[in-house]
Amino acid sequence: MASIRFHREGLALEVRGLRVSLGETEVLRGIDLHVPKGRIVAVIGPNGSGKTTLLRCLLGLQKPSAGEIRLFGQPLGPEVLGRVGYVPQRLSLDRSFLLSVREFLALRLRETRHWIWWRRSTLDLHLRGLLPGHDLGPLLDRPVAGLSGGQLQRVLVAFSLIGSPELLLLDEPTAGVDAPGEQSFYELIASVHRERQLSVVLVSHDLSMVYRHACRVYALNGVICCEGTPEEVMNADSLRQAYGMHFTPYHHDHGPGHHHHPGEGG
Amino acid sequence: MESMLIEPYMQRALLIAVLLAPLCGVLGVFVTARRMSFFSETVAHGSLAGVAIGLALGIDTAWPILGVSLVVALLVLWLRENTDLLTDTIMALLMSGFMAAGVVGFSKLRGFRGELHRYLFGDILSVGWPDVALAGVVCGFVLVFLVTRLSPMALMTLSEDLAHVSGTSVRRLNLVFVVLLTLTVALSIRLLGIILVTSLLVIPPATARNVASTLRQELLLSLVCGLLSGILGVVASYQFDLPCGPAIVLTAVGLFLLSLGARFLRRPARLSTRP
Repeated sequence: MASIRFHREGLALEVRGLRVSLGETEVLRGIDLHVPKGRIVAVIGPNGSGKTTLLRCLLGLQKPSAGEIRLFGQPLGPEVLGRVGYVPQRLSLDRSFLLSVREFLALRLRETRHWIWWRRSTLDLHLRGLLPGHDLGPLLDRPVAGLSGGQLQRVLVAFSLIGSPELLLLDEPTAGVDAPGEQSFYELIASVHRERQLSVVLVSHDLSMVYRHACRVYALNGVICCEGTPEEVMNADSLRQAYGMHFTPYHHDHGPGHHHHPGEGG
Repeated sequence: MESMLIEPYMQRALLIAVLLAPLCGVLGVFVTARRMSFFSETVAHGSLAGVAIGLALGIDTAWPILGVSLVVALLVLWLRENTDLLTDTIMALLMSGFMAAGVVGFSKLRGFRGELHRYLFGDILSVGWPDVALAGVVCGFVLVFLVTRLSPMALMTLSEDLAHVSGTSVRRLNLVFVVLLTLTVALSIRLLGIILVTSLLVIPPATARNVASTLRQELLLSLVCGLLSGILGVVASYQFDLPCGPAIVLTAVGLFLLSLGARFLRRPARLSTRP
């Protein structure tokens, strides 16, 4: 297991000794995790390994039974959460709720909180430039609940970037998105990361995308089974620890570092 | 028409319809999107126990109806947070328990059997000035709530997690919404009756959705449909000597059918693509 020491002031996120119990089950048992500023860190693990629980703790949605979470050196609280953007797993939306993309984006923008009284053209002036290079214009009139998986995730990224967050948390962001949509989503994240020097925590079980984009990987299965660079973590022994005995990664010829696991998508 | 307006009981009935029916329309957009229709049913049916308490004590039933409705609503929230019971189970348990208590209370009261019908289906004669005053106060609170908290409310309806990350205290906002919804439902019982009160939270938003394409349009149209249903229903109740609740509901259903026709004419293909 590789280990790197970080200076606290250089960390966007620091988790120490995190333990979480859901009912009788302890789903996270002593998690230590560091996210340096401006880097993409991935958390991988099989279903039920505690990835989403970990992310819910980072967002203050789940109370840990022990341990410490610090964002930008400060304890977790509403103030420091203002510096965080969050892209959830695909939302299960009620199609009868007619919130349009324009209205959805206006909900978070401070200047357009009272969007209901605003003219469409005035709202558009404020929303322009939310996701430069990725024109959301054609989607603005569409109901959020009527978007395709890939479109919805692009809109959620734009929403999460409102207020210029310094840390982006992505929870299985391409679950239910088709392969081309998945690729363009990760390209979007990579370009946003480059342009804004964001710190990113990517929770995923899509190993090929993690390999391509993350600078550091934590393999989780209740505990951190292994951590390190993608090359270090994604060898068969490390992944077998996280995913269990039957895991056998294999390589394709179409592109460097392109790892797949049957049944893991991507 | 003029004779209708000089009757004090009609003035009160129309006033309370103008105050509460549009509120039901707007709150209903969130109630239906958050799948809380059964919650409104629970509160309304449970309030029968409040009616029995009011009649037994010989006081204006408005206060015990409000009190019992709030107790039922807060019990739903408390049991949901502090037990492993499914929300549906909790609501069915409280609805049947409080309603059974109300029916037992009525069975022990002498001379009030006829009252039961009025509370079950609504009666314009039963609206008093204290009801109008209370409706005015609740209307004011709901309007302030909607004007100041519409964005967090819309975001919470879409995703509670996103609302939390965006700085909304989801628990507090949910509590305020539930209390205001409960007060609106409890006060609307005079006009619509216990059995039918939820219909004004469900039918106007459904009508609006047939023709709207944004949340703003949906809220506005639902408000207008609620208002029209309330006023036309009360007028029909007076003119044709109909029970008030069913008259309002049938008006709302009529508007829904009109909107359905409009939707067929505007975009016939969309009906078949909806799940």
